[in-house]
Amino acid sequence: MRVLVVEDDKDLNRQLVAALGDSGYAVDSASDGEEGYFLGDTEPYDVIILDIGLPKMDGISILEQWRRADRKMPVIILTARDRWSDKVAGMDAGADDYLAKPFHMEELLARVRAQVRRASGHARAEIECGPLRLDTKSARVTCDGQQIKLTSHEYRLLAYLMHHNGRVVSRTELVEHLYEQDFDRDSNTIEVFIGRLRKKIPVDLIQTVRGLGYRLSELPEQG
Amino acid sequence: MRFNSLAFRLFTTAATWTLLVLPVAGFIIYGLYREDVQASFDGQLQKLVNAITVDSMGSGDAPPMAPANLYEPLFEVTHSGWYWQIMPVDEPGASKLVSPSLATATLPSPAARNIAPDASGARWMKAKGPKGEPLRLVEVIDTLGHEPDKPRYSIVVAGPQDWLDHLVSNFRYRLTTALALAGLGLVAVTLFQVRFGLLPLRQIEGGLAAIRSGAATTLEGELPAEIEPLQSELNALIRSNQDIVDRARTQVGNLAHALKTPLAVITNEARGDKSGVGAKVAEQAQIMSESVKHYLDRARMAARVNVIGRVTRVAPVAQSLVRTLERIHQEKTIKITVACPPDARFQGERQDLEEMLGNLLDNACKWARRGVLLCVEVAPESSRLRKKRLAITVADDGPGLTQAQRARIGKRGLRLDETKPGSGLGLSIVMDLAQSYQGSCVLSEGPEGGLAVHLELPAA
Repeated sequence: MRVLVVEDDKDLNRQLVAALGDSGYAVDSASDGEEGYFLGDTEPYDVIILDIGLPKMDGISILEQWRRADRKMPVIILTARDRWSDKVAGMDAGADDYLAKPFHMEELLARVRAQVRRASGHARAEIECGPLRLDTKSARVTCDGQQIKLTSHEYRLLAYLMHHNGRVVSRTELVEHLYEQDFDRDSNTIEVFIGRLRKKIPVDLIQTVRGLGYRLSELPEQG
Repeated sequence: MRFNSLAFRLFTTAATWTLLVLPVAGFIIYGLYREDVQASFDGQLQKLVNAITVDSMGSGDAPPMAPANLYEPLFEVTHSGWYWQIMPVDEPGASKLVSPSLATATLPSPAARNIAPDASGARWMKAKGPKGEPLRLVEVIDTLGHEPDKPRYSIVVAGPQDWLDHLVSNFRYRLTTALALAGLGLVAVTLFQVRFGLLPLRQIEGGLAAIRSGAATTLEGELPAEIEPLQSELNALIRSNQDIVDRARTQVGNLAHALKTPLAVITNEARGDKSGVGAKVAEQAQIMSESVKHYLDRARMAARVNVIGRVTRVAPVAQSLVRTLERIHQEKTIKITVACPPDARFQGERQDLEEMLGNLLDNACKWARRGVLLCVEVAPESSRLRKKRLAITVADDGPGLTQAQRARIGKRGLRLDETKPGSGLGLSIVMDLAQSYQGSCVLSEGPEGGLAVHLELPAA
């Protein structure tokens, strides 16, 4: 899952990036409005955390421009202005959630998880697929109740596939959603990670769809 | 018209003056006319008596003759009221000459009654005629041929006094009628004048009401020169009032932003630190952030108090809040039902109404199982408050609260359930805001067992 943090306060930005990174997200960050707008406009993020009071371009205008350009990714607004009029304005501009400063990092992480789940159509915090069970809260995956040890890249890959289980996910999509912007993107690394994952979970859960990508599915396609 | 009003003052002074002046003027005019009519009547009698004297007494030795020329045809008509009579003064039994109108009667002689002559030698008196009618009577004593040693004759001419009286009373009647009509007319005109003259004040009254009800932001319209300065001053006052509030609000918002981001940083940093210091800092930062929120809310309220003329339509506010909340609480798929008349209007700031409804609805959504009900009613003016009131109820179908819990809630920072997110200040700020609008906020059990909050606020 790839997350963008747009926040001009350096310390808060750093804290957000660290906390999200620890929770298994690939995090990009921007510290002013223009950079934030550009990243959100060009990169496929799963969630964006957007501060309202930003230099160069304010959060509400950024959000409105994204929505006008039909960018539908979930956006959580982060602001010190916590009056209902501000919340209404934010939601009307196209935000999906609203968090007032100061906030607890746990609450922010919960909201981010909720947005990711909502976007992929899962109602609960735990996502199951056959014997696999992903607890988005604790960022842990179990297979038949046994915890699977995963590196952070493996976790990201498996979590993404589980969020979109049953659907064919292309390699490009995986690259775009699993790595930070400045990461050296070699799609071959995806194959390496798929190979590693197949050793840790029942092997036929991840199917290769030739020419298209991968699919995580409980029942292997017949034929 | 109230006693203590400009209209009453202007009207009573004008009306009193009119009612004093008109009768006095009437008396003066009546007196002058009466004198005038009497004088002209007397003049006519004088002319007649002089003419008869000249005519009848002119010839030297011959006894006086009936005057040849009939100056007045009514002398011929019996008992017409117009009479003349020539009678010797010194021989009481001697024959006399009388006008045909007098027939057998005799006119009294003022000289015999010792009435003194006026400057021209005429004697005047009032008498009764043959029919008992009042007469005005003039007598001249003259000698035949105007020679001093000839016998003296009394020449009397009488005219009907009641004709004169009739004329005067006729005039009095018409004068009274005319003056009464003029008086009524003046009073009516005064009334109109006062109303018309004070019309711009009505306009100001309407303009201020429009500002108060929010239909206008300035006192509009072309006003007369005398009150135009008042208008511009009032508009300047409203504008500056607005500016002050807006500025205060901006400052408060800026302060909020300036304080909250560092607080967020401190809180997060401290929670990452597992030593005792970190926990202490986190705890204190939490207290700080709640204080900041509490006092910022109050500062906003203080900045808002007594702003003239803000009116907020309730329905759009409710709709936008519902839209926002349904999105925030999307996970729970809560149905928010709104019953709000389209003409319900809140006498106050939009932001304050949003704050109250937002907090109540947000609380309700957090606790509700399936649905939240927002019901707005406009209560008619009660005689006590003389103002329309808004009755707003927010009810959920959640677990609700016991009586004891309801009594405890609303105290600052108190949360009954620490597991639900939120700072716990929601209800107390709602109560404070409602109070600042002379409204109230009361908790009770909802229709479906959950909590119901009843808000009473001024309507516009």
